This record gives sequence, structure tokens and C-alpha cells, in this order.
Amino acid sequence: MDTYIRAASQISMQHPLSEEWMDAPILPSAVFNEPIDPDYKQFISPAEARRMGHLLKRAVAVSLDTLQKGECSNPDAIITGTGLGCVENTEKFLNALIDNQEQCLPPTPFMQSTHNTISSQVALKLQCHGYNSTYSHRGTSFDSALLDAIMQFQLHRISTALIGGYDEMTPAYFNMLAKIGYWRDGNVDLASLKTNGMTGSLASGAAVSLLLTDSYSPECLCRIVDTHLFYTHNAEEQNTLIHSFLHQHNLSETDIDAVMCGFSGDEGNDAVYRHLLNSNFPDTTALWYKHLFGESFCASGYGIYTAAVCLKHQKFPEHLIYRSGHHDADFVGNILVINHFQKHDFSLTLLAPCSNSPLL
Amino acid sequence: MSDIVITGMGVISALGCGVEATVDRLIRSESGVGRLRYLKTVHKEIPVAEVPFSDDDLRKMLGIADGVSITRTSLLGRVALREAVAMGQLKGLGDQRVAFISGTTVGGMEKSEQFYKDFLENDSRNEYIALHDCGACTDMIGREYTGKISMQTTISTACSSAANAIIYGADLLRTGRADLVIAGGTECLSKFHLDGFNTLMILDNEPCKPFDKNRHGLNLGEGAAYVVMESREHAEQRGVQPICQLTGYANRCDAYHQTASSPEGEGAFRAMQAALQSAQLQPGDIDYINAHGTGTPNNDESEGKAMMRVFGDKVPLVSSTKAYTGHPTSAAGAIESVISILALTRNFVPANLNFSEKIDSLNFTPVTQVLTDVELKHVLCNSFGFGGNDSSCIFSKIS
Repeated sequence: MDTYIRAASQISMQHPLSEEWMDAPILPSAVFNEPIDPDYKQFISPAEARRMGHLLKRAVAVSLDTLQKGECSNPDAIITGTGLGCVENTEKFLNALIDNQEQCLPPTPFMQSTHNTISSQVALKLQCHGYNSTYSHRGTSFDSALLDAIMQFQLHRISTALIGGYDEMTPAYFNMLAKIGYWRDGNVDLASLKTNGMTGSLASGAAVSLLLTDSYSPECLCRIVDTHLFYTHNAEEQNTLIHSFLHQHNLSETDIDAVMCGFSGDEGNDAVYRHLLNSNFPDTTALWYKHLFGESFCASGYGIYTAAVCLKHQKFPEHLIYRSGHHDADFVGNILVINHFQKHDFSLTLLAPCSNSPLL
Repeated sequence: MSDIVITGMGVISALGCGVEATVDRLIRSESGVGRLRYLKTVHKEIPVAEVPFSDDDLRKMLGIADGVSITRTSLLGRVALREAVAMGQLKGLGDQRVAFISGTTVGGMEKSEQFYKDFLENDSRNEYIALHDCGACTDMIGREYTGKISMQTTISTACSSAANAIIYGADLLRTGRADLVIAGGTECLSKFHLDGFNTLMILDNEPCKPFDKNRHGLNLGEGAAYVVMESREHAEQRGVQPICQLTGYANRCDAYHQTASSPEGEGAFRAMQAALQSAQLQPGDIDYINAHGTGTPNNDESEGKAMMRVFGDKVPLVSSTKAYTGHPTSAAGAIESVISILALTRNFVPANLNFSEKIDSLNFTPVTQVLTDVELKHVLCNSFGFGGNDSSCIFSKIS
């Protein structure tokens, strides 16, 4: 059962709805990097937009852009990852509740505060009555949504799926997470993000969407061989599980042309990737993406997006290379995307060029 | 693959702790709806279905020390998980891949709303910042399981979260990605939810009256439930007696409104019909429907019309158990799955409390007196959520 990424789009600290970041990346200049909003008028009427918070607008725009690129008007499934849901509305309602002692509260922020507001808003916009679900599991929210889509394909229930990862970072939530050590205290240049031993990462929001299909067409970016989620605190077991995942697909570590990792500049986070690379892929090129898209609960979606765009263009831009290794300059083959959250929730996603089946 | 069977379950709700307490209260038609005791809110007049244990009681049950920070959503989840794991005989499994899938929406909000100003202004409650989100609750609950979890995730589709957790778990089994699944959901009462539902004007100031012509809204509830699922062969291999089968399930979207259901129940209709199809059953095979039946004017009419579209003039026995447990939002799908399984395996149909007059546009009335000694083969359990996230599961006697 093959699954292809037929189209992809993003809104982030890079130019929105574009792949300009491949050749002209915007490098981070602050600890908190707001996404760049596109002109929403092409997707949402001003009347609709007034009723939507930032995250909903981004989700609808990036979804519609992906569907337009993939020439699909009504996907069979809409599956969303969001670590925190619509935080802006949650905070609005929570503040009103506390400040007004639970009296005279506005209903709209509550209605738009639930995590599934995003997936259902997209379904409402598309009038899509098919499978619809939302995953809210911290740093593997997007990955859980992707796995769900792959299972729906495997079970022959769908032939197209729109999946997305959406999170917003409000100033208040940023400050709260700062208190528990999430963010950098200054030092945002690229060299410092690669320096071992520093703590904290760079914050941003996430809005990234993929259109998956079960049939190949020339515009497809790449093939998703499989996704695997696992939970373990044991570093040795992590190695074993990576090996068995590759083995299951008749591949060995040396068949992997590049490993896309969620390096963020935070030592606790990055040490896990270094260990996995050194143990399993000592000579393989390692790529990163959070220096372009920031850290958020759904940042892992950009890892898969970035790898897919590299496969489509058959190149790794220099700025994505975290650690140089052996790779064929003329051909981008299998990319393994590794993601973890706090050293225990892991995901592995294996991407391959449309034409190159690792099963052959 | 072979059939999916249920081999364990655990539950806590306003009806008390455990499946036996739940059955006992249902057979005696005793509601868990009443006045608030533990949640500190100005709206003391609004009836709710609160779990009859304080955080301290729950900590004691679980043996969790005072110094450990934990949210009520996680405490409830751990109590339910403990029972499910014991019944499912999940100890000492060795290398089995056990997936843990939990649904929640409110997550740690019940603590966040108490400490929010501290989060912003001082460092006195920082440990609760990391416990706020939905995934954090799953993380805390999973620790109750002393065996090895192979993967975990959290589903948040509002009031159908737990049903979708069961569905995701079943698909993990069907695609060979897990050997065993613990799936369900958990949610505690919070001011955020109570005030939120109150602003939508869908809370009844009296005990709720599902499917009654003069219903005025829902009563919020809280609780948690999990089921243990595996293939029939797997259960046989490890010598565990299956309780029942999960024969069918489906997830569909109403795509009508952010909070309201469509007048003809489009999403509910599609979910029930697709669940029947996946179970390869005919409408006439369903013996009992545990309805979503919240007691809001909108839900019950919409769900009732959807049932009429699926079942025509032969709507099976129907009852909503929301007048017992209140509406435990994200936990509802799991608590009602457990109730459906209990009804199926112990051959009873819980009464739909507080009903007196039929809804004009519907062609059926719910079961008003508890039925015992009814032979049930297939039970349909509906779970619908805000945003039109509608799911249905079918539980069947072991064939």
C-alpha cells in the first residue's frame, strides 16, 4: 500500500505558502518568531475572517492552498494535530472567567477554544463529511495524525487525506513555557543553535499541511513508506526500534541517504538525536529544520514537509545540513525523519522518491 | 485479521468507582446527578454529575503522595486504567506491544484555572504549567501501568474523544501495529467547561431529560473509562476470556456548525450507517442503542432523526445514560462503551431517566423502566462532539 504526498503548504516564520525557504531562508532573529501571515482574502472572506482567530485563519488558508496545489476539492479524511488547540481563544475565555468571577462571559471564545475547532472548521469550509479527527499529544501530535491517515489508507477506507499540524504561541503561553525552561535566553544565531550544551530553543507557531493520496501522479512530492510511533525511555531500545523499523521495510541503515532530525538548540533535546545518529547513522548526512521553522508542539510536521520538498527538488540546500556525511550529490533517495518529545515519545517516518521503491 | 475483542475495562463516574458500582446503580435506576461538592465555582446552583471523591480521596486510592503534582483529569484516568489493567490481566506480558490511547479536551485546565494568575505573575505553581496540555494527562495516566507501553497518543475531538480513541486503537490492531490496546478517555469538571457550556445556554437547571419533549439541556459530568482490546487469537493465546467483540465502528463529520448539530443529523446518520456497514450488520440486528442523548433540544432531535433515517419505523430499544453520569464530555464515549458492554453481557437495558413526553418529530420513545433479562446480541453506542465529530461503535456478544 503506497501513500504519496501530492501537495504541501506552510505558514511559518518563512515566506508563507511558498518554498522560497529552499533558496532564500529567513534566519531567526529573536527567541519568539511570529509566523508571517499571507493575504487571507484569497481564501477567506473578510466577514468570515473576523470570526476567526489567528490559528483558524492560518489553518484554513494553508489547507485550501494545499488542496488547490493538489487539485483536490474534497478530501476523504481531514486529520489534524495540535498540541494546544486555539490558545488565543482559550486565554480569552479563561481571563474573562477569572476577571469577571464567572459572570457575563462571551460564548464565541469558548466555542472556538476546543482543539477540534480547527479540523471541524476546515471540514465545515469544505463541506467534508468524511473521517475527521484531532490529535493533541505534545510533540508527536502531527505524527499521530499522520499515522492515523496511513492506517486509513492501509485499511482501504480512503484515497485522499488532508493532514495538518497547527499551533499558535501567544505571548502569555510563551512566558509560561519560558518559566519551565523551554526557550533560549538570548543567543539565537545559527552557530549557537548548533553549540552543544546550551539550553532552550526558539519559539514559533506551526501551520503545515499535506495532501496524501494512494495513487501516484507526476506532481507528487514523494512517497511515504511508513510512519511508526514508539514510547520508551531506554536509549538502547530506541536504537533497536529504529533498526527493526528499517528492517521491516527491507532496508538497512546504509540505505538511508539522509536523516532529518528535530535539533532545536536545546541540549536535552539534541543529545538524543546525536546519540541516535552516532549509534545508527555514523556516516549519514543529518538535516535539521527547526532553525527555519522554530519549536512548537507541531514543529515535527515541518520536518516531514521539509524532507518532502527536498525529495521533490532532488536536493538538500546547504543550510539544511546539520552534519555532513555521505550522500549522492545527484540523487536524493530515502530520508528518515526522526522526531522525539522529551526523550520518550518518538516517531519515525520514512520518505522515498516517488519512483524509487525500497521494496524492489 | 481476526475479530477484535474486549478483554478488560475500568470506569469511574458519578455512579462511583468500578464496573460493579456502575451496574448496581444502573439496575437500581439511581442517578449520579446532584449538587457540586468539590469544584469551586460561583455556579453552585447548576446540577452536575460529580465523581463522589475529592482529589485527596483519589490520591489515597492510588497511593500518590501529597508532594506529587497531578491534575484531577489524570487522577480519574489512573483509577479507571488500574481497573482495566487488572481485569485485562495485563501484568507480566513481556515483549507485547501495548498501545495506550486516551481522549481528553479539558486536560489540566481544572488546575490551570486555579493557578493561571500564578503562572503569569509568580513562580509558585510552575509545576502545573507542564501538566496543562492534553498530552501531559495521557503521560501521567500511562505511568499507572507498570508494564511497558509501546506507544501512546492523545485524541481531542471534544465529546467524542474517547470513542475515537477506541477507534484509533482498533485500527492499530487491524494494521498490526499493536498486540494490545488500552483505549478510552478522561475528563474532570472545571469552571472552564461549566462556564463555557453555561454561556452556550445548554445547561439544564434541573436533572436532564434526554429525549423528552420538554428537555432544557445537559448536566455536565466527569469521569474516566478505558477498555482493553486485542485480537481474538491473541486473547486465546494468552488465555484471557473475551468479554465481547467490537464488531463495527465509524467516524464521520456533520460539517454543519462549530457547536450545533444539523437538523437532520447528517453526521450521526453517516456514522451509524458506516458502523453498521463495517460490522456487516443490518439495522434490524441492533438490539439496543446507548444514545449520545445529552438532553439538549438540539442534540436529541438531531440524533433521533438520524436514528429514524437509519432504522426507519423500527428504531431499536434506546436509552441515554446521561441522566446517570451527566455528560462527561471527552470521557463519555468510553464510559458509555463500558455501559453498553455491561448491558450486552449482563442482558439489561438501563432506563432513560426523567422522560415523560415524546418529541413530536420522532417516531420512538426511550426505555423508561430498566429492562432485565433481555437478550442483547448487538449494542450501538453513539458519541457526538462539538464541531460535528460524530462516532459510533458496535459491541457484540462473542460469536
